[in-house]
Amino acid sequence: MIPVIGGLALNLALGLAIIAIIFNVLYLRSGDGRLFLSGQRAALAVSLLSIFATIILTQLLMTSNFDVDYVAHYTSQETPLIYKFTALWAGQSGSLLFWLFILSLYAIIAILQNQRSQLKLMPWVMIVLVTVQLFFLILVNFITNPFAPTETDFVIANGLGLNPLLQNATMAIHPPMLYLGFVGFTVPFAFSIAAMAQRDMNALWMRTVRQWLLFVWLMLSIGVMLGGWWAYQELGWGGYWAWDPVENASFMPWLAGTALLHSVMIQEKKDMLKVWNMVLIIITFTLCIFGTFLTRSGIMSSVHSFTASSLGPIFLGFVFFILVVSFGLMSQRMQLLRSKKRIESFSSRESGFLFNNVVFIVMCFAVLWGTLFPVISEAVRGTKITVGAPFFNQINIPIGLVLLCLTGIGPLLVWRKTSKQSFIRNFTTPVIAGLVMALVLYIINIRGYVLISFSLSVFVLTTISLEFARGIRSRITVHKENPLTAFWRLLRKNRSRYGGYIVHVGIVFMFIGFTGHAFDIEKEFGLKKDETNHLGGYTFVLQNIREEERPNHYAWIADLHVSDASGKEIVMLHPEKRIYFHRNPDPERRQPHSELDIYSTMKQDIYSIFNSVDLENGVAYLKIMINPLVNWVWFGGFIFVLGTLVALWPPKKEKL
Amino acid sequence: MNSKNKFYFAISGVVLVVVFWIWWVSTNPASEQALVKFLSVQQLFSEEQAERIRLGGLVADESIKLDENNYMSCNFDLQEGEAILPVHFVGVRPDLFKNGAEVIVEGIYMNGVFEADILQTKCASKYEGDLRDADSYNLEEVSI
Repeated sequence: MIPVIGGLALNLALGLAIIAIIFNVLYLRSGDGRLFLSGQRAALAVSLLSIFATIILTQLLMTSNFDVDYVAHYTSQETPLIYKFTALWAGQSGSLLFWLFILSLYAIIAILQNQRSQLKLMPWVMIVLVTVQLFFLILVNFITNPFAPTETDFVIANGLGLNPLLQNATMAIHPPMLYLGFVGFTVPFAFSIAAMAQRDMNALWMRTVRQWLLFVWLMLSIGVMLGGWWAYQELGWGGYWAWDPVENASFMPWLAGTALLHSVMIQEKKDMLKVWNMVLIIITFTLCIFGTFLTRSGIMSSVHSFTASSLGPIFLGFVFFILVVSFGLMSQRMQLLRSKKRIESFSSRESGFLFNNVVFIVMCFAVLWGTLFPVISEAVRGTKITVGAPFFNQINIPIGLVLLCLTGIGPLLVWRKTSKQSFIRNFTTPVIAGLVMALVLYIINIRGYVLISFSLSVFVLTTISLEFARGIRSRITVHKENPLTAFWRLLRKNRSRYGGYIVHVGIVFMFIGFTGHAFDIEKEFGLKKDETNHLGGYTFVLQNIREEERPNHYAWIADLHVSDASGKEIVMLHPEKRIYFHRNPDPERRQPHSELDIYSTMKQDIYSIFNSVDLENGVAYLKIMINPLVNWVWFGGFIFVLGTLVALWPPKKEKL
Repeated sequence: MNSKNKFYFAISGVVLVVVFWIWWVSTNPASEQALVKFLSVQQLFSEEQAERIRLGGLVADESIKLDENNYMSCNFDLQEGEAILPVHFVGVRPDLFKNGAEVIVEGIYMNGVFEADILQTKCASKYEGDLRDADSYNLEEVSI
């Protein structure tokens, strides 16, 4: 009975979505306020019904109602309660419903928050939002319905269960974060289309869009970083980024969105680059839909993709539709978007931002090129060429280093034109610091990209520290504050500027972590009890292999003693080999899983994988990796998030 | 040249450099793992292949054999349609690797055996299999 209600809610939402669009269009033609109100209520009802349907599916998952195909496929009686909940976004139809759910939450907030202040834009905002909702409603109603009943002629005693790889706390948060980002770009997109359609680009519109962008971008960033963290902690190949098509799918909107976040500042401050910003908003949103398509269509073989489905053509059609409509509208409104102001000098902040934008976009294009290369090569030359991580690294490392360099230069440029004196004053110390670092690295025999990356990191960190120092010092002289108060007030008075600097510091730390990858070493070996092996100056002794039965799996645990060259104990590592569904009578259905153990410091990680166990001879087969500086990536990510929060924190309401 | 043109010039310059760079890397990848041909097993047999290639298929039933002396090393048969290819792989096997699994391998074909150094399984978020009724759940001894 309950599944039927869920299905009905989705049917109803679909119908109301069409009605909401019609009412809003009619209102735009007639100006009759009653039509607007009805349209708004219908739009809100679409969202509420979608949310209701999601709650029902959640309830079905939590109560293990195996009459529903989705529930039976992604959960089992043994699945821990939390993962019964997260199964909501584990499969195709559930994750599409989840997309719709998040969009509905955003839509309600966007509509209620702006219904008075942006009255003129609202009809169009609603039309865009509901159209996107309608697209996903069509998918969950007709193509892949999450409430579809199980097609068996017996009563199902137990479901198939969730993949153990997905049973991980990070995995529980990563998709929702990514979705909050992905889906959220719909709102700024909707406001932009509305602004163009109504020929109204007021300052308030800009502020609304910028706040949304920043929030959504933060969510996307956290989502991407958690994905990397999860891969590193759980997947057992010792890395956090593999340039997999689906990772790329989340990285591309991030790149375009980051470019946008920078260039909207120019529009806000100087009323320039409006055309370019519009292009960026459209591209970013399209990349979000395209990303969902890459994940869901099965066109790319990827760790993330679900089996091939009929979703491909529909998604591509929608992407095409968005591009044609948006750019079509834009070409009609070029007059409105053109700016009279020009960039005056190469050494201006405007030009710095512009170059940063160009570099972000070409990087985005490079990633897109690599991602689509297999499809393109097959179409053009008839042979399918697969693209590996080395390709992406080779292309993107230099581009990334240019970006890192701009991170240092950009903030020091002033609007319009930077004078020669201020140029020299601002850059002398950082450049010297960078060169000293380069020299030191050169002497200790480090060359190439590693040298450039570390030197640039020092350069950027110095520029940012000096900026902070200057700000604090001037507050100390002017306001007679102590340094800590001065620092705190400096942040509070210029949230977006200093928040931005903190984000940059996070980025630099992440680059330091990425660079550590160049020094990774690894070794695979088998060990019997009390046998020894060595890697990177460390000694590994297998002290014991234990076994244990736990509620939903069976585990073999290696007790691995690690000591350094002087024989001092560093840590005991306990990587595990687990068998999930170990009570399943069919051995082929039991699911092995390697649970890693990592000893992590700022200097390096010692990463251990228990690959297999030879019970007859008592041999544990292990893989050990030593990955320097990985923690800097997570630490940098943390700083990054902190900085964005500073920038995002709403300023105190000023008294009028 | 006025400032507007100067800017277009500079930006086109940057774009051109990067486009050239992308093209250059696409034609001269630094690593042999950067761009790899994806073939079918049938194609592999019909053409002599000395270079690195990538193949996809199913692990043939009951074909996985671990080396007695080194469990890191294994042999199995890759099946794609009618064609069967013996594969040898040394390294950490993915958790989802088992008889009947869909896998991708990358490596070099030598003397009738495919020497793989990359082995990936298709990771599904669910278990492909039949749903069952209550009788088919019994405890049996577990082994790897």
